[in-house]
Amino acid sequence: MKYILAFDAATEHVAIGIAGLGPDGYGTLAAVDFSAPRAALGELLPATHRLMESEGIAPADIAAVAVGRGPGSFTGVRIAVATAKGLAHGLGVPLAGLGTLDAVAWRFKDTTGLVGVVGDAMRGEVYPCLFRCANGECERLDEYDVAKPAAAAAAWAESLGEQVTLAGNGLVKYAEVFSAALGERMTIAPESMWTPTGASVVDAAFAGRYEPALVTALRTPEQASPGLLLPVYTRLSDAEEDEAKRAGTVPSTGVAGPRSGGNS
Amino acid sequence: MQTRRMLASDLTDVLTIERASFPTPWTEGMFAEELARDDRVWLVAEDAPALLGFGGIMLAPDGAHVMDVAVAPDSRRDGTGRALMLALAREAAAGGAKRLTLEVRSANEAALGMYAQLGFESAGVRPGYYDETGEDAVIMWADTARLTAIGAAAGGRDLVLAIETSCDETAASVMRGGVEVLSSVVASQVDFHARFGGVVPEIASRKHTEAIVGVVDEALERAGVGFGDLDALGVTYGPGLIGALVVGVAYAKGLSLATGLPLVGVNHLEGHIFANRLADPELKTPLIALVVSGGHTSLIHVPEWGEYHTLGSTLDDATGEAFDKVAKLVGIGYPGGPAISRLAEQGDPAAIPFPRAMLHSGDYDFSLSGLKTAVLTYVRREQAAGREVHLPNLAASFQAAVIDVQVAKAVRAAAEYGVKDFCLGGGVAANVALREALKNALAANGVRLSVPPFALCTDNAAMIAAAAHFRLLKGGFLGLSAEATASLPLDG
Repeated sequence: MKYILAFDAATEHVAIGIAGLGPDGYGTLAAVDFSAPRAALGELLPATHRLMESEGIAPADIAAVAVGRGPGSFTGVRIAVATAKGLAHGLGVPLAGLGTLDAVAWRFKDTTGLVGVVGDAMRGEVYPCLFRCANGECERLDEYDVAKPAAAAAAWAESLGEQVTLAGNGLVKYAEVFSAALGERMTIAPESMWTPTGASVVDAAFAGRYEPALVTALRTPEQASPGLLLPVYTRLSDAEEDEAKRAGTVPSTGVAGPRSGGNS
Repeated sequence: MQTRRMLASDLTDVLTIERASFPTPWTEGMFAEELARDDRVWLVAEDAPALLGFGGIMLAPDGAHVMDVAVAPDSRRDGTGRALMLALAREAAAGGAKRLTLEVRSANEAALGMYAQLGFESAGVRPGYYDETGEDAVIMWADTARLTAIGAAAGGRDLVLAIETSCDETAASVMRGGVEVLSSVVASQVDFHARFGGVVPEIASRKHTEAIVGVVDEALERAGVGFGDLDALGVTYGPGLIGALVVGVAYAKGLSLATGLPLVGVNHLEGHIFANRLADPELKTPLIALVVSGGHTSLIHVPEWGEYHTLGSTLDDATGEAFDKVAKLVGIGYPGGPAISRLAEQGDPAAIPFPRAMLHSGDYDFSLSGLKTAVLTYVRREQAAGREVHLPNLAASFQAAVIDVQVAKAVRAAAEYGVKDFCLGGGVAANVALREALKNALAANGVRLSVPPFALCTDNAAMIAAAAHFRLLKGGFLGLSAEATASLPLDG
């Protein structure tokens, strides 16, 4: 059996899953998730190691690694991505990406309808993203973006003609902003559904349309070498944002990566 | 001294050592039975013809267990026990064992100390385990990959891959035996930070994440080795920019779990000190080191390798940072060190009397933010008076104010601690005026200045690999839960 290791630490919640890959598809064999505020560097890898040992899986049994690219906390994303790069590089296996917001949306794969994920982007902003879940799958409808909560809520209030279920750690601070804008049209999911689980990161990894996607990585490993994968930030560094503000322009890319999340 | 397999003909000497070591020694029959079993490995340490000690392990599916270790009374505390343990660990690893376990008398502090230095950890206590004395046994275990790496380092043949991401250079190096640089790759980010006039931490962290795999690949390729050839990994885990350190530490830990290679943690400042040792193998302790860079300004007393006493450091800006800020202030480019140093060559260092901060403070600390403010005040005053600032004079006078204080404190520290060697490290060590002033002032006091070549002064991973070799010998391993520490102390 081929094994896939997938994890996300882009928020204060760490989620790790191990999937087995057979001829008929994949199945999540082991999963763990836990809250680790400012502690992901210390806790991610020991928890991954414990999970592997509990299943009797040696590092050499892993055929590919998938990691949450964000958007989320910049440092959290980098801890996960750098750890994944070290693992995949050392094992000589491909490294695929998955969306952190997607991993939240996949918690709702057994529901039918719209799911609005509101990730906390800090500095008074959120990462809003819409998904449509049906038939055991969730499809992402938006590009990753960063916005003021009121603006994101207003945009959804204007465009959505149907009921939406909201989730995501951005609701800790901004649930009221969204309920004020959307009123009866929204349901806020229970807080236990706001964060990724080991199973949902595995699902998001296999669902990914984002490069390098896990399915692509497994088919053509050279297109998913660990050096290629980059985090999704959605924002430039402050220094570059300030510089752009002074110049009165909005660059789409900075020296440290693209502003928009995109798929690449 | 060397180790080899125990033979039946060794048993007379073995029994002598066994009887001198334990109140209820094993008998000749017991040893003979052990030697006959193929799940056992027994070794002796000898300085031919004298047998100095012996030890044996039992190989089992879940790991190897130390059956017995004893050293002749005359040879104790001279490294025989350590050499035996390392040789036994190598046999255990060759036999496929990932762990080596042993029991040791709880009162045997010499042995407990030696095992701790080899990275053994306590796994519990067996109360009253030793019948003859009723003493407790401490159960200890160690990772055989770690012990094998220590053994390789002790033999000077360890192949180490080191990673450095503490500031704005992504670096990796492969080194053999702590002295032979097989490769040293540095991906500088200086161009990305230049237009901001200083290192932007968020950009540094992003660039490390982008570059790290490629930099490591290049270091391995240039050295002509793969992960499977290595004995250990080393990584800088502080001090430095936390977001930047995190990338190197997370990557290195991932690599460690994937490859099974033990990971050693290195203090960035110890790396700068080891850059001197790498460039100048004759360098001897005790010595004083001055590390001056964009992130550090520290004066350190090194009574012996591995022992550090920070005598003083900057209370505000680092030296390189002060150069950058002054260069930005007068608009002459980034990084500020080379720009100011170039201009200063044509200027008069005595033209403007900038303050010598803390010159007479009586301690070894530095302060550079007041000097920076003095430069700003001077520039504004000149501009307000309609006079054009003479940049070469300003650069030379600013540089002289920095150098005067550092040289004075360096000379005083060398005298107070009676050292004959002084090391300069860090990116600012590239400043020719500082080197010359320091060299002359120290020479006048009979102290030799050691300055590594420029490529070893600025951040690099070869110096981290050199320090990692040394840390490996001390069993300074990082586990999977290791953190990065922005203000990691050097002393201790």
